[in-house]
Amino acid sequence: MHRHQPHPATPITDADAAFLIKRGKKRGNYSCGKCGLPKKGHNCRFTENDKDFSPASTPAAAASSTTVTDSAPVEESVALMSPRSVVRPPPPTRLRRALSFEDISVDDSVVEDVRNKIEPEMELSVDVSGSGMLPGSCLWEVLRRLPPAGLLSAARVCKGWCDITRRFWRAAEEIRLRVPSSAQIGFFGSMLQKCPGLVRLSLKMESDVDATILACIAFSCPNLQSLEIFMSGNSSNRITGDELGRLISEKRCLTSLKMEGCCNLGGFSFSSSSLSTIWLSDLHSLSKMVFNCPNLKEISLSFSRQANDRTDLTTIVDGLGRSCPKLQNIHIASVRLSHSVVLALTAANLRGLRMLSLVLGSEISDASVAAIASSYSNLELLDLSGSSISDSGIGMICNVFAETLSKLLLALCPNITSSGIQFASAQLPHLELIDCGMTICDHNSEILTDEENDEELHKTPNSKLHLAYQKLIIKHSRLKKLSLWGCSGLDALYLNCPELNDLNLNSCGNLHPGRYFNVRAAQSIILKRFL
Amino acid sequence: MSSSTELTEKKVFLLKSLDGVIFEVEESVAVQLEVIRELIEGDCARPFISLYNVTSEILALVIEYCKHHAETCSGGTSATIADEDLKTFDNEFMNVDENILLELCSAADYLDIKSLFELTCRTLASLIKDRTIIEVRKMFNVENDFSVVEEKAVRKEFAWAFK
Repeated sequence: MHRHQPHPATPITDADAAFLIKRGKKRGNYSCGKCGLPKKGHNCRFTENDKDFSPASTPAAAASSTTVTDSAPVEESVALMSPRSVVRPPPPTRLRRALSFEDISVDDSVVEDVRNKIEPEMELSVDVSGSGMLPGSCLWEVLRRLPPAGLLSAARVCKGWCDITRRFWRAAEEIRLRVPSSAQIGFFGSMLQKCPGLVRLSLKMESDVDATILACIAFSCPNLQSLEIFMSGNSSNRITGDELGRLISEKRCLTSLKMEGCCNLGGFSFSSSSLSTIWLSDLHSLSKMVFNCPNLKEISLSFSRQANDRTDLTTIVDGLGRSCPKLQNIHIASVRLSHSVVLALTAANLRGLRMLSLVLGSEISDASVAAIASSYSNLELLDLSGSSISDSGIGMICNVFAETLSKLLLALCPNITSSGIQFASAQLPHLELIDCGMTICDHNSEILTDEENDEELHKTPNSKLHLAYQKLIIKHSRLKKLSLWGCSGLDALYLNCPELNDLNLNSCGNLHPGRYFNVRAAQSIILKRFL
Repeated sequence: MSSSTELTEKKVFLLKSLDGVIFEVEESVAVQLEVIRELIEGDCARPFISLYNVTSEILALVIEYCKHHAETCSGGTSATIADEDLKTFDNEFMNVDENILLELCSAADYLDIKSLFELTCRTLASLIKDRTIIEVRKMFNVENDFSVVEEKAVRKEFAWAFK
């Protein structure tokens, strides 16, 4: 369907950029920064409410925060607010995207928001109050709400403002930037140099990416812990495996690396004792892939869908299992996933593995499920979307993971039926999420509509058409999210799920409102475009 | 508590602005002004509260804002509708002359009304963002105290890479 599969990442909006500045430790004040009175012996009425003052704690700002917590891949697709620990279903027009290990909701409207928690200092208040109409503390609060571009130009207003903005930059720990195609690398470097304390950097690249950018980052940010490079538009990522490997081994603090558009990596060998999270997407025909990262906990490898991908996944997964014993979350999306890859993975015997997502592997079968179940019996999330597993595979899943599994994703698995889904919901008491999009498909009607062949419609006996339709009855006390998008073969749905708060019935063409019932929780259901 | 409040059903407080105008506000409105809440709790709110930093023009606006917020929040409407309503109100409320906006911002800071302070700061920030440096100077009544050489250096240091 879509050749380019985006990385399971937080969407960065079109907003110019945004950055967050976290609290920086400041030296003692001479007078109160809030009210301007001498500090000695003074009990400021503001101080007890300091925390509430930071915009981060106001609801609006909290909603606009895009800070991605560690180990939290987020689906890009739907930007609705949804409760934590609930995976969003993909939109019906796309193939299933990568999983969410631990979902967080992200507001797309985000981000021209500068945030920090630095208290204005005394000297600042003095500096500023003389030069404008606003008291210093107010000006500080106004300026810190500027996006990076605004902050840069504010520096040129006067000396006092220049001084304030310098402090903002110096204290910046996190920057999110959209880099337009016209960006000049020199300016990019000089901006990074203003922020020696930078810990997290997130770039949305509209211009091409190459080794120069990496060099800039390596040079300017000695304490960088998290680096994200997302691609947008037609920009291309020319970074090679060697260049990225060098950055990883040089940056001793780097714990998280997320990069899109990795089609030119060629092959790589990453060595780092700090790295715990790595996401790479749009991978293509890798000659070698070595992870000497003993502390790696989360890995997401998303391959391009091109049929000529020649990556030897079995060898890679085999090596991964040997060198990264602490892995907890594994996500691999590739059409080259096969039963032998699964066997390599199960042979690794990763004790900490909790979330496993092997997506798009049509060769993954019930036998693979049996292998997974025998090696990893504590999984909390299992995503085998796009595989060939059948209802008996679901049966095995139910037997083994009854006590642990809370998320089950089996979208685009054509061999499962409503009885399999029903069985899973009955046998897995801890389930909170089921995604069975595009499973129960009404192939008859698809063929008919595709070909618009009236004759065939008349030929098809009614009884056969009825056979194609399935009913689904789900009674579950914990289920919060159920996705049945594109289940055109479904003609009746009965739910008794008091906790359900998100139900996706997009493109369930044969499920008519009169044949859908949910007992008890009717009010909390979000019905998206009931087609 | 106080003699004035016993006469009426709802407690009423008197606020006196810098230019001597006295405003009568209900308790639900008054407590949104953190400064005044403290005075009320300390029983120091009689006979009236003098606010030396706020003019009557601004105080009237502040009270209008607090009143609307108090009414919307206490009304029987659901949270989402109330939110929508407040958003519309806030947007319209911010549609004022920028000098008034600046005064509102300092008043909100002085009176310690968090939501109004946040609102005015955001609005001011978005105004700054869309203006040239010369316009910003004019708006904030700030003088350019850079020398020619300094200005050149600053311009170079803070060049925006992405324009």
